[in-house]
Amino acid sequence: MNGNARHSQAMHFTARAADKVRNPVLQQALQKAKPLFSGKRAKAMAALPDDGLEFEALREACAGIRDRALNDLDVWLEIFEENACARGAEVLWARDGSEICELVIDVARRHGVQKVTKSKSMLSEEAHLNDALAAAGIEPVETDLGEYIIQLAGEAPSHIIAPAVHKTLQEVETLFAEKHGRPLEARTSADIPALAREARGVLRQHFLSADMGISGANFLIAETGTAALVTNEGNGRMVTTLPRVHVVITGIEKVVPTLQDFATLMRLLPRSATGQTISNYVSLLTGTRADDESEGPTKTVFILVDNGRADVVGSHYQDILRCIRCGACMNHCPVYFSLGGHAYGWVYPGPMGSVLTPLYTGIENALDLPHASTGCRQCSSVCPVRIPLPELMHGLRQEQWRRGLRPWGERLGLRAWAWVAGRPKLYRALTRIAARYLNWLADGAGRIRIFGFAPGWTAARDLPVAAGGKTFFEQYAARKRD
Amino acid sequence: MSARDEILARVRAGLAKGDAGARRAAALVYLQAASPGPQPTLAGDLVARFCAKAGSLASTVERVVDYAAVPARVAAYLAAHDLPARAVTALDVAGLDWAAAGVDSHSGSAVDADPVGITGCFCAIAETGTLLLLSGPATPASVSLLPESHIALVPAARVVATMEDAFALLRRERGQLPRAANFVSGPSRTGDIEQTIVLGAHGPCRVHLIIIEEES
Repeated sequence: MNGNARHSQAMHFTARAADKVRNPVLQQALQKAKPLFSGKRAKAMAALPDDGLEFEALREACAGIRDRALNDLDVWLEIFEENACARGAEVLWARDGSEICELVIDVARRHGVQKVTKSKSMLSEEAHLNDALAAAGIEPVETDLGEYIIQLAGEAPSHIIAPAVHKTLQEVETLFAEKHGRPLEARTSADIPALAREARGVLRQHFLSADMGISGANFLIAETGTAALVTNEGNGRMVTTLPRVHVVITGIEKVVPTLQDFATLMRLLPRSATGQTISNYVSLLTGTRADDESEGPTKTVFILVDNGRADVVGSHYQDILRCIRCGACMNHCPVYFSLGGHAYGWVYPGPMGSVLTPLYTGIENALDLPHASTGCRQCSSVCPVRIPLPELMHGLRQEQWRRGLRPWGERLGLRAWAWVAGRPKLYRALTRIAARYLNWLADGAGRIRIFGFAPGWTAARDLPVAAGGKTFFEQYAARKRD
Repeated sequence: MSARDEILARVRAGLAKGDAGARRAAALVYLQAASPGPQPTLAGDLVARFCAKAGSLASTVERVVDYAAVPARVAAYLAAHDLPARAVTALDVAGLDWAAAGVDSHSGSAVDADPVGITGCFCAIAETGTLLLLSGPATPASVSLLPESHIALVPAARVVATMEDAFALLRRERGQLPRAANFVSGPSRTGDIEQTIVLGAHGPCRVHLIIIEEES
């Protein structure tokens, strides 16, 4: 079992999903978020033609940029490394999550770091870095408001760009009152600014006193050796400006060749994520503080992480590495909005998670996720880098079949069906019997309320039954005669 | 094998392409070409477009004739918003006569107690209503970050169409990226509690832009 699988709960997807659909507070939070996510994106995309831009042409360009980087990933990483080092940064490499933790703790110890402020980094979630830092006696403070909320709650993020989307206002109020040591107040939506302000006050003191800042990177720009950071709150700027040391932790797939490429990607990333034409802060961070500067880190370290990515390069699933982590696929996914992100059991939820989790934690450790699909294809139609998510999920399902990872009942059933379907006469005879039987069960009502062979399926819906107990072939032949 | 070498070897094994030298040469050619992607066509005056976009991002905008007019307008803005007439200024705008307008100013890096930060900008982008601020000895990044109010002076002549144009200007005038190039588009915001947008997350709660029509 690899290190990622050890932390993954993806094998318990079905059980967790059943729990999540029955959680009224979670359902309330999700139902509020759903129209906001999709509505904002749709509005932003609809406005593109006003500036003579077109979504399809832009995503063609964006997919092309990501493919260019991935198709020569080794070369672009080396060019990035040379340019980053030329500007005084240190570039380190980590095979997996435990190596990320070792490297970060080593950098922290070398620089006498007591407290770390963190801007959102999904890689640090992959590595369980906060636990490792705390165990090493270093205090990690999440500073993205959503990440701060879930850190206080002792939970994991449930969405890649809105980590606390599963929390209601009342839950945040209760949490802040307890953790900030103040009396509980009755809150309405009008008080959301007050809660944000409360967090600002607490976190400002952490920003000013931290020795080290940790951030992710939305992109690495090879030609300049730069980390690009896209944020709205300003916490990304804080953790990369104020502390003495800045550590960037990012996946090796995040590299893009040029600043021009970055500018193109920025036309779709914010629009796809939050419906903004641009995020409030887009920071390009290169090297360290110059000798005559009064601020900025004197030490900048990049940690480039594999953790399962290198094995996807050149595979049938390489397209998933184009992902720019906008969240549009989950924001348009009926499965995601029925369950929330925690049901998926690992760092990445929604359709992109259903592909990434099996690839990074082992296909055998996330058997349900590639099946967590209604086949609606919304995810691939909104993806800004044209990732064929339904096809990749389908490929993973096929691989489960080939490797004998499906349950024996399903394997036997499918084999039996294939055997019968290959013999038309037998197939028609058996479907005739089945149609008559179902019609008898339905007792002329045209539908079966509870079907004994599939009680779960009929628990929330009826099974429709062919009129008069006739099969499709019989009805087709009858109509042709008329 | 080091982690670096092992990771790169696995990537190469996956790509199964061989001849890294030829691929590197092709990559360098691509860097030289620096061809842009789909570009917007922005109708009308760039400065008007910048002002409209910045306004839609919750910044406020006013236009003045020259730099000499700026301190009095800043003082008026601060008074109108009940803000203290105390500011930290980036060195490149510290030379204006702030004292004459009654604005108590100091220059350099911002501290937590600074209520107002005043900066210039390297350039501004009409497409998105965005400022580009470069870090440097005279332009510390904290001035546009720590104070609750950020006032930026934007020469009309420095408004360019796109981020690509801003990069071209940067290459021409500076040669390379500074430690931090910050594209700033309005006050900081968060939507992390029930997807409700709140202005003033960690950075400024309000951003006021003063467009300077002619350079003094």
